[in-house]
Amino acid sequence: MIEFCTRRSRRTVGKAKRVHPERSTVGTRRLSSGQPKAGPGGFAHPTVCALLGLLGLAAPAFAQTAPTSPAPPRQHVSIGYVEIEGDPRYEPVRAYERLILKTRDHPFVGAQIGLDEAAALVRVLNTEFALERITVKSPAEVAPAVIQALEGRGVHFFLIDAPAEALKPLAAATKGRDTLLFNVSASDDGLRRELCAREFVHVIPSLAMRMDALMQYLTSRKWRDILVFEGPLPADAETVRAFTRSAQKFGARIVANQRFKAGTDPRERELNNPALLSAIRGNYDVVFVADEEFDFVRQVPYHTVLPRPVVGSIDLEPVAWHWTWEHNGAPQVNSRFDKKSGGRRMDSADWAAWVAAKMVVQATLRTRSAEFAKQRDFILGDAGFDGDKGLPVSVRPWDHQVRQAVLLAAPYMVVASAPVEGFLHRINELDTLGDDEPETPCHLNK
Amino acid sequence: MPILRLLLAPLCIAVFAAALSSAASAKDTGLVFVSNEKTNNLIVIDPKTNRVVKDLRTSRRPRDMHFNSDHTKLYVACGDDDVIDIIDVAKLEVVGKLSTGSSPETFGIDEARRRIYVSNEEGSSLSVVDLDQNIIVQEIPTGAEPEGVFISEDGHFVYVTSEVGDLIHLIDADSGNVVQDVVVGTRPRRFAATPDHKELWVSAELSGEVYIIDREKFTVEGKIEFLPPGMRKTDVTPVDLRITRDGKTAYVTLGHAAHVAVVDVPTRKIQGYILVGKRSWGLGMSRDEKTLYVANGFGDDVTVIDLRTRKATVSIPVGRIPWGVVIDD
Repeated sequence: MIEFCTRRSRRTVGKAKRVHPERSTVGTRRLSSGQPKAGPGGFAHPTVCALLGLLGLAAPAFAQTAPTSPAPPRQHVSIGYVEIEGDPRYEPVRAYERLILKTRDHPFVGAQIGLDEAAALVRVLNTEFALERITVKSPAEVAPAVIQALEGRGVHFFLIDAPAEALKPLAAATKGRDTLLFNVSASDDGLRRELCAREFVHVIPSLAMRMDALMQYLTSRKWRDILVFEGPLPADAETVRAFTRSAQKFGARIVANQRFKAGTDPRERELNNPALLSAIRGNYDVVFVADEEFDFVRQVPYHTVLPRPVVGSIDLEPVAWHWTWEHNGAPQVNSRFDKKSGGRRMDSADWAAWVAAKMVVQATLRTRSAEFAKQRDFILGDAGFDGDKGLPVSVRPWDHQVRQAVLLAAPYMVVASAPVEGFLHRINELDTLGDDEPETPCHLNK
Repeated sequence: MPILRLLLAPLCIAVFAAALSSAASAKDTGLVFVSNEKTNNLIVIDPKTNRVVKDLRTSRRPRDMHFNSDHTKLYVACGDDDVIDIIDVAKLEVVGKLSTGSSPETFGIDEARRRIYVSNEEGSSLSVVDLDQNIIVQEIPTGAEPEGVFISEDGHFVYVTSEVGDLIHLIDADSGNVVQDVVVGTRPRRFAATPDHKELWVSAELSGEVYIIDREKFTVEGKIEFLPPGMRKTDVTPVDLRITRDGKTAYVTLGHAAHVAVVDVPTRKIQGYILVGKRSWGLGMSRDEKTLYVANGFGDDVTVIDLRTRKATVSIPVGRIPWGVVIDD
């Protein structure tokens, strides 16, 4: 393995004003000595990381391959990775304090493996790729941190690992600027519809895409009568809205929408007992549950009055990626991720971060340029990228959503991938998922 | 019905034992070997009857296979055990193993130098294995997910694809240095050289193309795109390819497009498409160039094509996820 030239520093912006330069190859090693003090703006010069990057150039196996004529100066492409410290979306999902159901983490490792894969390209392109980790304290600090990196250090590409509330001010702050912001973890449809910002590329699939994928599978099985359980959170209502829209689109029927409330209070049993909630007049083929909290949903399977499969927040979930996906080169990616992360299973946001990093690398490779405008035009053009999910992924010109297959994952197996066979489209079958051009209010291409 | 097939296999062995023992003593048995990734076995087919004559257990995840020059041994890269199994072709059993790097996928044998060059899919390297000492003598770094390996006729150069890097590396076999890289389409997989040694054809799976590399200049001098009737561009995922000894015709498997393309090599024009099974990958061609065997990864079978009529004649069930085909003729 040749040493890959990267500059990976973690910047902490905001009140703490600390800088922790770190370099990660397999594990993470913090540099304790010579740690630079943050400047007035809360940033330090990335000399440490730049130096580390240069060390990577001395790959012995290729030392003799250098051309005899003086080499042109090496170009640099930097990618910023912006995350929020203590982002609740990455807190473990617990049943009790000590019973952890799901561990979650920022998808930074996804971006790292994306750049690691480009190691051999460093000498071909004479370009050094760097990943700069910028950690802020709150959603409100995302936009200022991006602007600072853009203006102060000439970073044009950013992976934005933040919720929708951070993306709205970010869109306003970057409007018309030379930047491309890869949204790797916010699936809200509103970001693709009303917000409709030219500077964004939404790599993570939208909620609409995921619901369409699930609905394609259900209707392909002729499970068209659906009982819905809706949770109390706004996100649950959002999910049910998207699911209902998908049902209309693909000809399924929601036979009842039952609102649930987690708990054991016998006076509220009509709300908290899955058996009673599922004891409706008439039949249904499947139960769809929207439960962002991942609490009530755990007791729905095997507790419904009729023996029916449960889908949505448990058992059969529409996702961008799953650790059991074994086609299209996925086992190798999962294996690289596993090694780099120290045993974590690659998930949807990791996939999005990986693909975003690959897009920047491919743009550099195919345009043979480190010039931002050319790279951006390539990414937003009709280029296809290898997302290891079959059909090449590409950016929809109307809302800058990355079109991609959606996996329908059971706990230990990907049951199907959507678009499900038979769902056709006049141009690209991937556009049967989510907002197609005639359906969207966002028309960035017009 | 893999279970049924496994049950049938010993029966077949018994039935064909007599035929086999006589065939095994002779060279050029004509037997067809199919490696199966998921069932960890080689299925051996008698081409005269198209029946399975042997179910040969190997190490886990057998993929690429090559004979030594006198066809007494068959080498099989087994990805999940990091070994190359050595099979005695007369006895049809595993008689030895060579250690490789992590997840060996495809390889090439240079018998003159007693070396095997094997791409390690997960190690991003090409291992050079000394055949006699059974040790890795060199580890050459490559782009991520190296796959296709081609050794130049004089043994001085090795060509390797990097599936994720979209690169072909040209490696000096003496020093083990990458001398040059050339960028091709997305996910480059396998090689076929023209008999005049001038061109190297490389399949690019995801961009659905075959790239043609001028070996002297080591530059891309052309590419061929495929589109069988009724298929979409995105279904076309070429993987394996063969060029006939007269240098006139090439056969390319098109993966999810479930066809084999027939290409006129001098004009690079596509002459036609032959319908095969799902996710057709590996190819094997008989020495008389009359029969083509196609491993269908998602069909768990092998399609046999009569090259005179260019029609599929029969499909033979094998193991799960058949990867490649070689023929002892």
